[in-house]
Amino acid sequence: MTKPIKIDVLVIGGGLSGCMAAINASDHGAKVAIMEKSHTERSGAAGTGNDHFWFYDPEIHEPRGWTIPDMVRDISTDGEYGKTKGGLMDQELLEIVAAGTKAAVDRLESWGVQFKYDKIYPWNLQYDAPEGEKKYRIVPQFQSEPDTLNYDGRDIKKRLTEQCEKRGVDIFNRVAGTGLLTMDGKVVGATGVHMRTGEFHVFEAKAVIMATGMDQWRLFKPHNGQWFNSQSPPYITGDGEAMAVRAGAEVFILQAGKSQHNGFQYWRNIMRSSPSATTCFPAGRLVNADREVMIRHPAVREPMRKYRQNVEDSVAEGKIPFYLDWTDAPEEEIQYAEWAYGNEGLCWALREIMKDLGLDFRTHMIEIELEEPGRNGGGFLAPFIDTDCKTSLEGLFACSPVQFAGEVAAPTYTVLGWRSGEKAAEFIKNMPEPEVDPDQVKAEEERVLQPISEAEGFTWQEVNIELNQIMEEYKKYVVGFNPPGGRNKMSTTGFNNCLDQLAKLKEAKMKAKNPHELVRCNEVMNLIDVGTLMVRAAFEEDQFKRGNWFLGKLEDDKPVFRLEPIKVKYPPQEAA
Amino acid sequence: MPPVFNEKCTACYKCVEVCPGDVLREGDGKPRVAYPDECSHCGACMMDCQFEAVRLNLPIWMRPVGKRVK
Repeated sequence: MTKPIKIDVLVIGGGLSGCMAAINASDHGAKVAIMEKSHTERSGAAGTGNDHFWFYDPEIHEPRGWTIPDMVRDISTDGEYGKTKGGLMDQELLEIVAAGTKAAVDRLESWGVQFKYDKIYPWNLQYDAPEGEKKYRIVPQFQSEPDTLNYDGRDIKKRLTEQCEKRGVDIFNRVAGTGLLTMDGKVVGATGVHMRTGEFHVFEAKAVIMATGMDQWRLFKPHNGQWFNSQSPPYITGDGEAMAVRAGAEVFILQAGKSQHNGFQYWRNIMRSSPSATTCFPAGRLVNADREVMIRHPAVREPMRKYRQNVEDSVAEGKIPFYLDWTDAPEEEIQYAEWAYGNEGLCWALREIMKDLGLDFRTHMIEIELEEPGRNGGGFLAPFIDTDCKTSLEGLFACSPVQFAGEVAAPTYTVLGWRSGEKAAEFIKNMPEPEVDPDQVKAEEERVLQPISEAEGFTWQEVNIELNQIMEEYKKYVVGFNPPGGRNKMSTTGFNNCLDQLAKLKEAKMKAKNPHELVRCNEVMNLIDVGTLMVRAAFEEDQFKRGNWFLGKLEDDKPVFRLEPIKVKYPPQEAA
Repeated sequence: MPPVFNEKCTACYKCVEVCPGDVLREGDGKPRVAYPDECSHCGACMMDCQFEAVRLNLPIWMRPVGKRVK
C-alpha cells in the first residue's frame, strides 16, 4: 500500500475557503495539509482576484439603522435581489457569514490585502471618517443598503498562501482529490493523484475539510459551447461532491430549473467576474444600441423590474446590441473603473488585451452579452452542513461547496472556511490516531489509476460530451418538455432513460495518455456520480414544489431522499 | 490560441508553476502550451510574469468588441 501521510486535518481544495480553513485549523494547534488540484497561489474562484466583498461593519451600518437580520433578509427574501431567490438560501448560515465578515476583512487586511484607501469617491457610501484616515470603498451591489466593499483582491490567494506557509501547513499542489477513506462510518483520510507525476497519495487524517469549490462544471453543456470558457473556473468539477456522495454523506440537491432573466452579466462570456453589477456602475452605463440608459447608478434605487422592462422593450424595438458605455464619464471615474476592473476574474487580462486591440473606455463602448431569459439551467448538488460546518459523516467538514448560501460567494467561503478550520481542530482533540483500511486504499488506487493502465478506451472528452448529452435530456424532462398535467408520466420514462445511459457511461472504459489526462478522466467519473444522484432525486414527486430542496445520500449504493422546506428564520417584514 | 511567449522570457517557469489548468509545461527554452484547449484565459501567466514575456491571445469568440463613439 502507498505509505500514508499522517496529519491531523486534511483540507481538500486550496482556494479561498480551503486556505482559510487550513490557517485557522493550524492556529488552533492542528497539523494541517492541503491537497490542491492546481496551485494555491492562483487556484479556485478567487485565483485571479476577487474585487467585492459583502460585509457588515457595526460601526458603519448600525448608525444607519441596518442590522444583520436586515442584511440577511434583504439578500435572501425581501430585497429586490432577495425576491429572486425563491426562499432557497440558508438563512442560518447566511447570518453566521454576515456576522463574520468584518473580522474576515480585518484578518485579510492584516495579511496585506488592501481594503482601505486615501480617496473615496462620491458614489461610494459616505460616512464620517476623520480627515486623513483611510476609508473603505463601499457600494451597493444588488442590495438595498450599500454593504459591498470594492477592493484590490487580485493577489488574495498569494497572501493566503503566504499565511499557510508561515504556519507550516503542508501544501500538496497539483494533487487532485479522488476519494474519501472511511472506517466504521467515519472519515479517516483521503486519496489523491498528482496531475504531473501520476503519483498516488494517501492521507490519514483525524478530520477532513471539503473545500473543492462551488460548481460542477462540465456536468451540463455550457451555453456558449465552450467547456473552458466558463463563468466559474472550469477546473471546479464536482470532485468534492462526488467524494462526499460515494462516502455516504448527506447532500443538498437542487433540481434543474428555468433561469431568470438576469440581464447582462458577461462581457462576451469571459469576465468571470460581476463588474457589470458592481464596479462598472460608478463610471459606466448599460445602454442599448441607441445609447439609451437601461439602468442608472444603483444608488438611484430603481427596481430591478424597471431595468428588465427597459431591456425587454429595447429588444422588442430592435435597439440591440447592448453596451457598457463609459465614454461620457469623467476621467476620475474611468480611472476608478480601470482600477476596479483589474481586481477580479479575467478582467485584469482583459484590460491588457483591450490595449492590444486599441480599445479604450474613454472612446469605445464595449459590447456585452444579453443573457437569454428562460434558459434551462442545470441543477446543483453540495454537501449539507450544520452551523458548525459538520456534514452528516463523522470526521467530514465542508465549507465550499455547501447548501445554497453561496450567492455572496467570497464572504461565504472566507467565513465558513475559517469556521470549519476551528471546528475541525476542536473536533480532533482527544481523537485517537486514525487508521485507514489497506483494502479500501488498494481498491481506490486501482479505480483511480485504471484509465492510465488501459491499452485503449474513450478519451475523457468523448465521455464528457456523452455525459453532457444525457444531462441535457434530464434538463428537458425536468423543465423543458412537460405540458401541464403531463409531467409525471413523461418525466419518469425520461429519467429512467437517463439513468440507464448514465449507468452504461459509467462502465465505459476511458484511456488516459498521461497523468494530466488521468485527472481529467477522474473529473468525468466524478461528474457521472454527481449527475446520477441528481437524476435519481428527480423521481421524488415533491421536487417540483417551489421553495423545496432535497437532502439525499447513498446507503449501500441505494439513494435515500428526504425533503425539507427551507428554514426561513426571520419573519418577512411587514410592508410599511 | 492561449498565451504566447516573447523573447523576454527567461524560462523561469513561474507561469508553469501557477497555471491553474495545468495547461503550461516546461518546454525547449521557454514554456510550452501543452493543453491549449483547456486554457481558461484567466491571465495568471501574464499576471505573474515579471519579465512581461507573456501575452494572452484570445480566441476570436472571446475578444471584446468595441464601438467607437468619440
